[in-house]
Amino acid sequence: MSRKLTLAAAAAALTLGTLFIAPTAFADEDEAESCLRTKIWDGYNDGWAVRTATSASLKQGEYRIYLVTLYAGNEYQISGCADANAKNIDIILHDADGNVISQDKTSDRQPMLTHKPTTTDTYFVAVHATELVDTTTAAGVGMAVTYR
Amino acid sequence: MSLSRPRAIVALFALAALSACTGADQAEELPTPPVAEAVQPEPAQLSPADLAKAASNIALVPSPAEMQRALDAAGIQAKLGEKVPNRTLKMDVPNKDQVAVRTGVILADLLLTVKTAEKDALAKQLMDIKTGMEQLGAGSDISATVQDIHDRVMNDVVSRDDLVKELDELSGAIIPEIEYEAGPRSVPLIQAGSWLGGANLVAGAVIDAGSYDKAGDLLKQPAVVDYFQGYVKGEGQDKASGEVIAQLETSLNTLAEICTHETLSEEDVKTIQSSTSSVLDLL
Repeated sequence: MSRKLTLAAAAAALTLGTLFIAPTAFADEDEAESCLRTKIWDGYNDGWAVRTATSASLKQGEYRIYLVTLYAGNEYQISGCADANAKNIDIILHDADGNVISQDKTSDRQPMLTHKPTTTDTYFVAVHATELVDTTTAAGVGMAVTYR
Repeated sequence: MSLSRPRAIVALFALAALSACTGADQAEELPTPPVAEAVQPEPAQLSPADLAKAASNIALVPSPAEMQRALDAAGIQAKLGEKVPNRTLKMDVPNKDQVAVRTGVILADLLLTVKTAEKDALAKQLMDIKTGMEQLGAGSDISATVQDIHDRVMNDVVSRDDLVKELDELSGAIIPEIEYEAGPRSVPLIQAGSWLGGANLVAGAVIDAGSYDKAGDLLKQPAVVDYFQGYVKGEGQDKASGEVIAQLETSLNTLAEICTHETLSEEDVKTIQSSTSSVLDLL
């Protein structure tokens, strides 16, 4: 789906009072975005606010890396949502030197981890499409950073 | 080959007897054939170089609302929204770099005041953002989206809590993902405007509170400054960018130097405030 078409859909969704995530989604990312959208909305009830939400199409073994600045004292939640083609999506938080700070231990398609830094710093969030149902096609994978 | 019927029956009995005897013994003597265990795929092991090479900056820059949370967490009581000045920025200027920075500044003001501002003030900020998006060639869809939010604000059909969510989303998920006709510098310059506006207010809050021991955690973000510098200095700069972008580059250089300090002093924080003000005052 083109960006402009997706944006039009997003605008329409907003008009109807629903939140949208990113205007760059491909068709197979819609399910991931819908799942992520629900998580983000629900999170506001518990004091979370969204910093970033984005999505990508990943084949098995592929990953996306996001550089993030996390403030000392704020609590962060990094959530993932993937479409039905995903079997196991993993999120790993690395510090600026590449050391693993935290990673989700689940084997599902909705990974989540929380982190509360003691110093403000830059981190890498790695989102891995570790295992897919159909390894010949990509899965739509969404990632959101929320804070409170 | 064929067997006569009696010989075939004998042969079958012999085979059955043989298998009955040997089968029981083999069950105890022969090792169980190894069952291949399913190998669980593991995420790729990434080196620091892998991470740096593949990293996207889309989530790098904290939002002004996040800065407020960080101030709260640091025990500084200031409300940034109360410190937002009443700005009137001209959005329909020909220089796209300036439009991007101005749009970012207005976006920061909007995010920080959304819960408390008068309806007319919110409406004006939304219209300024809409104009900025149009000037940058962000497409008619985002323009329609911002117009829709504006109309719902004016008609009192959206709660401030829901507005916070929608504007967070607009700032953190939609605006960074749009392709602008004005080029790839638009997103970082919008983000630079928002970050500069927020950092200016945070520096002021730290000065007011005298909490210089907290300044490093609130204001020292070398990766963010480096990211902005890459675009401000990079190719594709509007040749007619003028003094705003020149001052932005100067201010970012100052901030980059301050980021090399192990801890931030009172003087550093005051320099951050004056450097960021130098850009904002030119808008």
